[in-house]
Amino acid sequence: MVILERLQELLQTPLFGTSLSVGNLLWLVVILALSVILARLTVTNLRRALENRMSKNELEILLKLIYFTIVILGVVIALPNIIADLSGLLVAGGILGIIIGFASQSVVSNFVSGLFLMVEQPVKIGDNVNVGSISGNVEDISILSTTVRTYDGVFVRIPNEKVFNSDITNYWANVARRFDYAVGIRYQDDAGKAIGIIKNVLKDHPFVLQRPSPTVFVEELGDNGVNITVKIWSPARVWWDVKIELLWKIKVALEAEGIEIPFPQRTVWFPEPLKMEERQKVPHEKG
Amino acid sequence: MKVEKSVISQRGKIVVCPIEPVNLPEKVATYMEIDFDPLFLEPFSKTTIYLTFPIEIGVFVVAKKDIKPLDVFSFIPQKYSLYGPSNGGVISRWAYSPVYAAIPEVNPFECGVMQLTLHNTTREWVEVARALFEAYSMKIYYSDELVSMSAIMRILSSKTAETEFFKEPLVEGMKKAIEFYLGRDIPVVKHNGMMEWGLV
Repeated sequence: MVILERLQELLQTPLFGTSLSVGNLLWLVVILALSVILARLTVTNLRRALENRMSKNELEILLKLIYFTIVILGVVIALPNIIADLSGLLVAGGILGIIIGFASQSVVSNFVSGLFLMVEQPVKIGDNVNVGSISGNVEDISILSTTVRTYDGVFVRIPNEKVFNSDITNYWANVARRFDYAVGIRYQDDAGKAIGIIKNVLKDHPFVLQRPSPTVFVEELGDNGVNITVKIWSPARVWWDVKIELLWKIKVALEAEGIEIPFPQRTVWFPEPLKMEERQKVPHEKG
Repeated sequence: MKVEKSVISQRGKIVVCPIEPVNLPEKVATYMEIDFDPLFLEPFSKTTIYLTFPIEIGVFVVAKKDIKPLDVFSFIPQKYSLYGPSNGGVISRWAYSPVYAAIPEVNPFECGVMQLTLHNTTREWVEVARALFEAYSMKIYYSDELVSMSAIMRILSSKTAETEFFKEPLVEGMKKAIEFYLGRDIPVVKHNGMMEWGLV
């Protein structure tokens, strides 16, 4: 009984000279902890249930929204328990507020930028992007920062404010993209035949899009050979794989038909025939 | 490419059946587009044609209502296309088909037959030369001789249309194929193919 009475006394002990008691504070901590646990449990179960049914980007935004909603609800529920005369804290709180305000300026800026990024969605999780000088795949877009995994596997955390203010190139924002090749052939080769062979190679590749159809044409009569330009549309998600695969296939197909890639060459014309023998005699004459 | 996987099971079954043809050589699309010779449809008309569509075959392990894919293969080459502009259009598995007035004879391991009802709901003549279908709503049926789908294409204007699949086999006695894309779908959302970028 004595212990209980002492515990009750302890719980009713006012804090910082206000009517806020230790019990109120404990209750606040318990409710907040419970809301965080509930939020995490909900998010974990929802992620498991929805991971195959929604795109990763939409799922992550939804889960973050649910997580913070539950936590904020917890705060709202807990607040009446600490409604007390906080006037004693006002002066200290005011000064502290100014200090925190200055200190958290960049945090707030990143937070607001993060909200704008989530609404505007110039990049999504999984996208292939270039933000400022950083290129790679977007791993996560959180409230304060965006995580990018560069092509060589390096983790880069970019503050959302920087992402928001940077030039963003999103290679996956559009579903298809075009890439070009320049293929040179010798002057004695038949350019029409070469174009036909290249078109056949492109026709056989599943990811060279049927529409817009690829374009193959003689672009230039160059110094060393005839330059053929090949313009190919491919799904944005696989364009790089297609690009590195196709050029060699084109080269092999052309060579199989006797059409070769020209080497740099120069034809030099002399006004008079070369006199090699006479030049060789010169040292003997001098000696 | 040869695929070898060991399945440890006591009551599991292996099911081999045709699936939505949007998985090979890798998954880049959830739509299938069929080009056919141009057809002119009179106002407020309804006509039925038969088209062929490419087949992909799925190998699944099935046990206690859970289905896991083991492999997907095909006997025909794949081709993809872009329906619409690159910013707003969709990547689709592409195929060409002649237009048939009756069920054509095809190799069921390579091609299926689609019964397509063309419904011109407009008050003008409309030219149609392609149809776009959403993989999430495909209903494929199969037997030893035939793989089939039934669909309708509602033409809403000279440039827009909507496609929808029917849950019915082309010939009685056909089995329903496993819906590879149903499991990833949200059941309340209706997936119809919307053609907003032209019908020719």
